[in-house]
Amino acid sequence: MSKFEKLNEKVWDFFSSVDLAVSLFIVISIGAAVGTIIPQQPEPEITVRFFSKIMSEENAIKIYEVINLLDLNNLYHSWWFTFLLFMFALNLIVCSLDRLPVLIKSFKSQPQPLPISIIEKMPIKREIKFNEKSDFKNKVIDLLKKKGFQTDIFHTSEALQIQAKKWIKTRLAIYVTHLSILIILAGALIGTFWGFRGHMNIVEGTGTDFAISDDGKAIPLGFKVFCDRFEVDYYENSAVPKAYRSYLRIIENENPVKFNGKETVLIEVNHPLSYKGITFYQASYGFQPQENAEFRFTYFDKNGKPVPLKAKFEEKFKLPGQTVSVSVIDFSPALGIDEQGRLFNMTTDMINPAVLLLFEDKGKRENQWILKKIPETWETPYGRIRFDELWGAQYTGIQVRKDPGVPLIYAGSILMCIGLFVSLFLRPINYFVTIKNNTICFYAPSSKGKVMTEKKLEEIISELKGEVS
Amino acid sequence: MSYQIISIAGLFYILAMPIYIIYMLSKNNKVGYLASTTLLLGASIHIYGFVRRFLEMYAINHSVMRSIPITNLYESLVFFVLSLVIGYLFIEWKYRKKSFGVFISIIAGIGIGLTELLGMAREVQPLVPALKSNWLLAHVTLSFIAYAAFAISFITALLHIIVSSENKKSFKYYFSTALLGVMLFVFISMIIDIITAGNPKSVKMFHSTLGNSSLSIAILSWLSLLGFIFISYKFSDKLVKILKDFRIDDNFLEDITYKGIAFGFPIFTIGGLVFGAIWADQAWGRYWGWDPKETWSLITWFVYAFYLHAKFIRGWQANKTSMIAVVGFIVTLFTYLGVNLFLSGLHSYGSM
Ligand code: HEM
Repeated sequence: MSKFEKLNEKVWDFFSSVDLAVSLFIVISIGAAVGTIIPQQPEPEITVRFFSKIMSEENAIKIYEVINLLDLNNLYHSWWFTFLLFMFALNLIVCSLDRLPVLIKSFKSQPQPLPISIIEKMPIKREIKFNEKSDFKNKVIDLLKKKGFQTDIFHTSEALQIQAKKWIKTRLAIYVTHLSILIILAGALIGTFWGFRGHMNIVEGTGTDFAISDDGKAIPLGFKVFCDRFEVDYYENSAVPKAYRSYLRIIENENPVKFNGKETVLIEVNHPLSYKGITFYQASYGFQPQENAEFRFTYFDKNGKPVPLKAKFEEKFKLPGQTVSVSVIDFSPALGIDEQGRLFNMTTDMINPAVLLLFEDKGKRENQWILKKIPETWETPYGRIRFDELWGAQYTGIQVRKDPGVPLIYAGSILMCIGLFVSLFLRPINYFVTIKNNTICFYAPSSKGKVMTEKKLEEIISELKGEVS
Repeated sequence: MSYQIISIAGLFYILAMPIYIIYMLSKNNKVGYLASTTLLLGASIHIYGFVRRFLEMYAINHSVMRSIPITNLYESLVFFVLSLVIGYLFIEWKYRKKSFGVFISIIAGIGIGLTELLGMAREVQPLVPALKSNWLLAHVTLSFIAYAAFAISFITALLHIIVSSENKKSFKYYFSTALLGVMLFVFISMIIDIITAGNPKSVKMFHSTLGNSSLSIAILSWLSLLGFIFISYKFSDKLVKILKDFRIDDNFLEDITYKGIAFGFPIFTIGGLVFGAIWADQAWGRYWGWDPKETWSLITWFVYAFYLHAKFIRGWQANKTSMIAVVGFIVTLFTYLGVNLFLSGLHSYGSM
């Protein structure tokens, strides 16, 4: 063998060894754990502040230098962590290439009788004796066949040998699992190279055609996303949101895009929208009043007929059939009443929106709060006015993502689960039976799940006894 | 209220522990039945509490899928304990050996005790939108079933190390007996904590023992912790003898350890990792983000993958692999509780 071949073999052995796999499990785990302790943020101040809690500032700065050198504040994307994952993948590939052909060959090769000395060394052994001269050889074989075993019979000089096996091919399943890990890693790689992540905040009634990436760059989408409406429901008497949703429209080249025949699509948390490989997730929301924000009311005239009304902030409007002129002079998204009975604004979430209306009638000025959720406040000297909403004052926070690797991730996950279930629940079973004189011996080589194997053997034996006697 | 019913179930679990001990010492089968019955009764009350809680949530949500009570830390811990007890009772029935029930009742008791002592919100809470997902439901349910399987393998692995260690001076032996002592101490300290709690809302763990405001009681508690560890070390020989009397040998313990992991590992893979990733993908637009909870789940997964490979391919000896199973459960615990207590992240799910 030449020197090169020797080296080649050494490298191959290194990468096909399970020792390497087992070491990588530990090293990657420790590395990943470190990343959950050290803040994963690029700003030096954050790291220094974190460490100066437990040491002097000077040392914290020194530590920061080490951290920066090893990319510990961006650990999961650092060169060395990526390298470890790469080693892991290589290990899996080489290991499978090394073992799979041997396994497949073993399925194809003709079964051979084993020397009795080897069989007798097997860890699990059960012996039964029979007195009568009944034909228990066929009884044993029939029973094993009935239980789904495939049997090979050998007449050796030492004894009659029966090899019974079941679910042998399930050993292939673990290679499916290992392959699936590679598929998932490939999917992740594709995602990092050909995908992006970003977010956009769209105020009700406006649209945008780009997202902002996590590092602050604009990503053009190639179409425009409009938010027609945004709604939040809250649990009764609480600031906990029950559901929030955006009504989106997509306009491409001036043309509206239809989804199932409709232009407007609703997205909610856990129910995203996908278009051209880009997915929009409802992520957050917030209060951001715009110039064109509109207060919307329903006015009930004397006959109780509802009339919709709308007005901008401080814009005067008339109530139908009345001389009074009305304007909105204050707004509160979450009006509360403090202990002294004063009104105050609890948060900027629209938990309990309210408007302060100014009524001007023939020189008389009056004002009144109208609360959206409290009907008693809708009654005014000029009739019943219901405050419906302030439209155009909330933005919807949308997470935007394109990841062409996701189908691979899903495919890999499914394969992984199938492979694991088969390989761990349908273990190959291998029995060796020898018959000599009036003695039958059962042997099993596996030490995996010894107690269960023994139990199963007992069952077979007791059935056998039942049949023979 | 459902949580009061569940506390009563916890009481039964705690009660089962001394009965199991008496059974092991007296070898009286009647006492054995009593012990199992106590545990079974606890589990039945527990299931009743679970159903009650479901109804309480249904009254708010009017949705069957959104009312399964595993939506916050309290409910998840309760569900974990229920899976653990049911899993153990199944093993007891299947193998007809009941002597590691002591340790199950200790863990179940500590589990329910924690819900009293960590100040978790136990009232039914409204669901925030991110939690309204069937993937999340599958994710959490299966994760906790897997955790319960790991917990069982932890106990048998610990006993396995003690039973099969020839060398009483080895690190593994010290470690396992010390761990056993600590578990016992935590169990008893917790009972005292709960009994002496004036206002249940402000109770802290170990307030009556290690963290007592009176210095002398605190010192005494630390000493008794050391005492427990010492006793556990000293009397492990006896334990081994008793276990052997019950035909609890190293083969059986190793087998159950393996079974727990062989069952838990695929369940954890599909439920913990895959379903978790699918849910994160739909709720946040990313299937994996190296959030501390995710990272620690991956580490947990690696530790058990390590176990399977070390055991079957490297052919590590029994004792060593059991040590991995023990470490595996400690990592699992950290993933479950430690990350919430010590690290911050996106999984608001677990916040207390
Ligand atoms: C996290 C990644 C991995 C997982 C989840 C995993 C899972 C498994 C499982 C469950 C088994 C079956 C063990 C049993 O017999 O019960 C197995 C077997 C095996 N694994 Fe892995 N594994 C991983 C990575 C690796 C790596 C990196 C190697 C590289 C050398 C490797 C090599 C093997 C080998 C050689 C077997 C035995 C196959 C056989 O019985 O023919 N595994 N693996």
